[in-house]
Amino acid sequence: MLEALKGIIRKSSIHACLINTGGCNGCDIEIVALLSPRYDLEQYGIYFHNNPREADVILITGPVAEQWKENLQRIYAKAPEPKIVVTIGACPLSGHVYDQEGSAIYPPVREFIPVDAEVPGCPPRPSEILQALLAVGPDAIAAKGRQSK
Amino acid sequence: MIVPIGPMHPGLKEPLRLKLHTRGEKVLSAEIDYGYVFRGIEKIMEGKTWQKSVYLSERVCGICSYVHTMTFVETFEKIAGDEAPIRAQYLRIIANELDRIQSHLLANSTYFNSMEHETLFMYMLSARELIMDAIELLAGNRVHMAWNVVGGVRLDARETHLKSIMDILDKFEVQYNRYPDMFEHGPLLGLRSREVGRMTEEQSIKARAVGPIARASSIKHDWRSYHPTYKDHFDFNVIWRDEGDNFARTMNRFDEITESVKIIRQAIENLPEGDVRKKIDIPAGYADWRNEAPRGEVAYMIETNGNLIKNISIRTPSIMNIDACAKYMLKDVATVADAVSTYASVDPCVACTERVVIVDEDGKSREFDMQNVKVIK
Repeated sequence: MLEALKGIIRKSSIHACLINTGGCNGCDIEIVALLSPRYDLEQYGIYFHNNPREADVILITGPVAEQWKENLQRIYAKAPEPKIVVTIGACPLSGHVYDQEGSAIYPPVREFIPVDAEVPGCPPRPSEILQALLAVGPDAIAAKGRQSK
Repeated sequence: MIVPIGPMHPGLKEPLRLKLHTRGEKVLSAEIDYGYVFRGIEKIMEGKTWQKSVYLSERVCGICSYVHTMTFVETFEKIAGDEAPIRAQYLRIIANELDRIQSHLLANSTYFNSMEHETLFMYMLSARELIMDAIELLAGNRVHMAWNVVGGVRLDARETHLKSIMDILDKFEVQYNRYPDMFEHGPLLGLRSREVGRMTEEQSIKARAVGPIARASSIKHDWRSYHPTYKDHFDFNVIWRDEGDNFARTMNRFDEITESVKIIRQAIENLPEGDVRKKIDIPAGYADWRNEAPRGEVAYMIETNGNLIKNISIRTPSIMNIDACAKYMLKDVATVADAVSTYASVDPCVACTERVVIVDEDGKSREFDMQNVKVIK
């Protein structure tokens, strides 16, 4: 009973946290564009508050720069269970254009923390990010919450 | 007491550590730590042709991506002693000004968000989407346009698209013209932004501030008034103010948007016919070139051996502005909340910043290279 109730609540109120691990900002501004009245992320019950301690969904952009190798795992550990990780853009997947000789990056993100969904693109359109968040977000969080008990 | 803000913090879009030295609620001074977004772009570019580097220069920064490619290709054109066809130059200016409008709107929206003024925050983002549509019509992409090549632009703009951009600008102006007024005469907004984070003219010269931040501290300098295409073909004013506070910086950006709309209209109305691209052979040589990015001057210094890039150095505006913010603006700020909004008013772009030569006040310079980043850790 309690679990079912928690599942319903988790589905309709999602707090998201954005971590830029060294990208070019392109994906970050497309995520900011999601807040605009045209896409209006909050009508789906998703609220952006860049605080990992109260995050249900962690969005990651960028190809893990030197400083983020340890910090990424620390931030992941700080987020409460159940949590899901969605990477945005081509950088967290493969390093994209930066993955060449002489660069100071360590992709992919999934080598550092478990990743639930990946959205490719440089940068993906806001509608694609929104679609991915809605497809993976509510149900996965509720399901993970049931599993952990 | 020291209040650390960042690298992950609700008030910041990008990773950066801000240390505020406080007494009670009052902020006495601030320090800034960089090094969270270092990727080594200049190092990757070395030994590559321009075709392989132009998309890297675009990804120095996602917000002002267009001006980076524009400066990059214009540096190569300067090495060759040639320039792009006049139609391509006009198209570049249309794209650059559209990019400036969306960047300024985003900067102002961040500032209003840091002041918790949600209405103007939403208005700014809503107006920005119109401009993003215009950019998409022109170049086919929202953020990274991939439109510039050495010797012109990749694709010509269609007449119908230019007409739609004019329509979008009409629509944009109807929406937009209310907002500067709202900000200028809003009593609470005025209380939170006037006389907060003041930087005088002498201080901004000392800190080598550039762009709207310097222009808000009564430095009348805009590199567009020296750029050959802007200088010869366009009529626009350099916006500047003398208050030097958060209000002046935000109003400066508002007024520059109006000027940019004016420039785009001029460019579309007088767009010359002709080719948009020509072949340019690049000899061995060195050139430096600069352009007015939304945040100030961006400078490229490139040395080639004919085909490959031997050496490249990129100087972006944010590094000077963030340091000016830490040293002069965040001094004796009344509250921590004001300190965060002052930081947002500088329009910091950390992704730009992390590849720089830092010049001290006495003119000493030091490289901020990969070794240094490893030591910081």
